[in-house]
Amino acid sequence: MLKQTVTIHNRYGLHTRPATVLVTTASQFKSEVFITYRGIRVNAKSILGVLVLAVEPNAEVILETNGSDEAEAMQKLVELVEHKFYTEE
Amino acid sequence: MEKILDVARIYKENRTRLKMGRVNGDIGHDRQVTSSKLNRPGLELGGFWGSFDPHRIQIIGQGESKFLKTQSAEQLKVIFNKLLHPELPLVIFAHGAKPPECAIELARERKIAILTSGVVTTYLVAYLLDYLDWELAPSTIVHGSLVDVYGVGLLFTGRSGIGKSEIALDLVERGHRLVADDVVKIIRRADNVVIGTGVEMLEHHLELRGLGIVDVRHIFGIRAVRQQKRIEVQVELQDWDSIQDYERIGNRNTTVDILGVAIPLIKLPINPGKNITVIAEVIALNHIMKYMGKNAALEFERKLAARIRLKTRINELQRYLKKDFE
Repeated sequence: MLKQTVTIHNRYGLHTRPATVLVTTASQFKSEVFITYRGIRVNAKSILGVLVLAVEPNAEVILETNGSDEAEAMQKLVELVEHKFYTEE
Repeated sequence: MEKILDVARIYKENRTRLKMGRVNGDIGHDRQVTSSKLNRPGLELGGFWGSFDPHRIQIIGQGESKFLKTQSAEQLKVIFNKLLHPELPLVIFAHGAKPPECAIELARERKIAILTSGVVTTYLVAYLLDYLDWELAPSTIVHGSLVDVYGVGLLFTGRSGIGKSEIALDLVERGHRLVADDVVKIIRRADNVVIGTGVEMLEHHLELRGLGIVDVRHIFGIRAVRQQKRIEVQVELQDWDSIQDYERIGNRNTTVDILGVAIPLIKLPINPGKNITVIAEVIALNHIMKYMGKNAALEFERKLAARIRLKTRINELQRYLKKDFE
């Protein structure tokens, strides 16, 4: 199991568009993917789960991957977070 | 799909209702009508030919007839020489008016049909416009199933064998109404309405793999079927594909073009254990909700944005207070 803390840089936080990117990307991996924010841990493959976190800009979240392709998944997800999910310029 | 509408058909299909009579036999009855517009040539009779379109059916109403009576034989000849353009499809004298002799003669020469109608001009125009609009409407045929679900026309499309007919059958079983299966004929009415019907031969039959052709109207009765329905949402059934980017929120408005009309499109992945019928009902109900102004996806999105904004503000406040060492 891998764990990594990342900071959400999106200007409006994890709103619907970046959350959709996160969820669809996470869904492509076999591993379980979790995201934890303020003590709430949700499945990152569930759109509603991710949205109820209502992550605001500059907040720190913990990404967790667990499974056969966990390293690959983590790498891809961290890349997404760093690039603001490719939803902003 | 190319539609052919000739004068003979217009006469045959409207003669009783519009009290039509033929003035010059079936001369010109093979002419095709391509424009669904009509013209009452008041301005032309008065001498202005600047906007005359010879491809429109010309309607001589009571007013025009009265005007023609005031003209001398010479003047009439001049007028009809121009009005009976070689390409003109048809002239109708409404309100029981009699065409002048010179017009009949010229029409015979140029092989243009002249009809009379015993009904009031306004009614003739209104009825004929509607008839032409319908007959000349752009149309197409698609492979799919059209079902009326809670009054919403859902058009199911997808590859052959994906289960369109089975879903249609399941919906019928749940009390919805089948419009057409397999072959759906679509006609555009007005600018933004597309209407689907079945084709004549097929009616309400559907084919079920392994069983063959069944007659839904016969099995489920008249309340299980419907003659035609406006298409409001297209549901495209797809084989489940984990790579495909399926809609997760519902705030993107994907549409598909049907005869130039944008119809909301929902791509629905199918996999075992998914009850497409119930989902179809929810699609219909959600469409009604959206129409009534309640868009769950958008409302959720707004609520979320407000929440994030609030949190951002609280964070700023906390940061500010932390620096307050006094």
